Amino acid sequence: MSPWAGLRVVVIAIYVFMLGPILITAAVSFNASNRSQFPPRGFSLQWWEKAFSAEWIDPLWFSFKLGCAAAVISTLLALPLAFALARYRFPGRAAMVALTLGPLMLPALVTGVGLLQLFQYAGWREQIGFTALLVGHVVICLPFAVRTVAISLHSLPPSLELAAASLGASRARTLWHVVFPLIKSGIVAGAVFAFVHSFTDVNLSLFLVRPGEQPITVKILGFLEFGFAPTLAAVSVITLLLPLVLVAVVERLTGLGDFIYGERERV
Amino acid sequence: MAVLLLFFALPNALLLSASFLKSEAQQLTDELTLENYQFLFTRPLYIWAFIRTFIVGISVGVIDVILGYPLAYFLVRTRSRWKGVLIALALAPLLASVVVRTYGWYIILNRFGVANDVLLGLGITQERIAFMPSTGAIIIGLAHALLPYTVLTIMGALQGINPNLELAAMSLGASRTRTFFHVVLPLSLPGIAGGFILAFSIAISAYATPAILGGPATQVMATAIYGFMTQLLDWSIGAALAVILVVCSMALLYAAARMGAKQAAL
Repeated sequence: MSPWAGLRVVVIAIYVFMLGPILITAAVSFNASNRSQFPPRGFSLQWWEKAFSAEWIDPLWFSFKLGCAAAVISTLLALPLAFALARYRFPGRAAMVALTLGPLMLPALVTGVGLLQLFQYAGWREQIGFTALLVGHVVICLPFAVRTVAISLHSLPPSLELAAASLGASRARTLWHVVFPLIKSGIVAGAVFAFVHSFTDVNLSLFLVRPGEQPITVKILGFLEFGFAPTLAAVSVITLLLPLVLVAVVERLTGLGDFIYGERERV
Repeated sequence: MAVLLLFFALPNALLLSASFLKSEAQQLTDELTLENYQFLFTRPLYIWAFIRTFIVGISVGVIDVILGYPLAYFLVRTRSRWKGVLIALALAPLLASVVVRTYGWYIILNRFGVANDVLLGLGITQERIAFMPSTGAIIIGLAHALLPYTVLTIMGALQGINPNLELAAMSLGASRTRTFFHVVLPLSLPGIAGGFILAFSIAISAYATPAILGGPATQVMATAIYGFMTQLLDWSIGAALAVILVVCSMALLYAAARMGAKQAAL
């Protein structure tokens, strides 16, 4: 066997390791029995029916709203930040970079604990739940949005802006008619990353939930500690499909792949 | 910017200060103390949690590099027309929450799970084995969850290697295997180190996987922090533990950044 053929076998084994558990989860959700049997015994949609009950749809919808809000807010905040970081050199820039990328470096778990304490001591106890979660998610999603927007700003030659300016366009007009259209896909990509990051987060959310206001990941985690039902398998598949469909759609529209892969280390 | 200062820098500063304050009956007092740290470093339970956390982190890093390297090498070098699809498949797991991905391992490893069914079915074992809760299960679950990060990091390093170097080595008579071990592997070492440290640093702060695949006997730092914050309600010790976790993970990432700097210089 040539080294390359050997490598191919190894790679196939690694893919099985990576995707196996996910496929098994999907298969188990169609089980007829109430155990996590694999291969599934019989075929039934009863767990899927349960997965679409309010008990699970509510936290799913909560996560979806949270993800959308976090994505929109962090992208809006990211635009001026990324612009300043990518275009200007100013005193304190290094500190600003550190602060912006900080939430990416620091464990989200710790940020969650810190926010919990802040909300308690500041007397915002009532805000724990959606508001606190939204604040936390914006903080941890911001680095993703800033990086992605900054990458697309970097790949934009400054001469375009100079050209627009030399033709008499004002700063605002240049931004609106030249820069924004050109970095649109970067902005969308940043928002999508932020959404996915928010939607899949558990480490931060853990500390900021209240009954009735918890994202799906925390809900699943809480449920798992008590027991097991194939319903969870069905719910898992739904939470997996949602970001997948979103990313596939956006990839079609804008070519998201370039941002995941390729120019990652640019900021 | 103000948002970050208020909701990121401030909470962390608060956390740091809380870790040095004495707390009584769930209330922080303004008495400065090192007792919180002293407490953590003298109780065997927490010393074991530290040790276990690091064992998990190192094992996950090693496994991910061993699994991630061949995959990254393959993905960078393959000329298959499925390349794009294969890369997408390798990264797709990142779209699923760690909870969901760990849940797959729960299905496989629990007492009545797939692994036991298969082993019994094949007659390899006679009775059901308790694969979890255990440190081993946590390691497998986390290695699985963090593999895409390592693959991405190593791919980045491999792509930075000029293919002409390999052609040069082979034109000088080196075999493909020899070229790999003497040219490609040494040049991609920063990527290996980066991937290892990234997996390591995420693994030591992961909560969901140890919570699902571990138990009370396999506490790690993240689960201990959660316990202090939500069950034992001793926030100053929880804060001290969080500070220790941050220091460890920042030290690791700093090391990674140093390697990255070296990588850029090459």
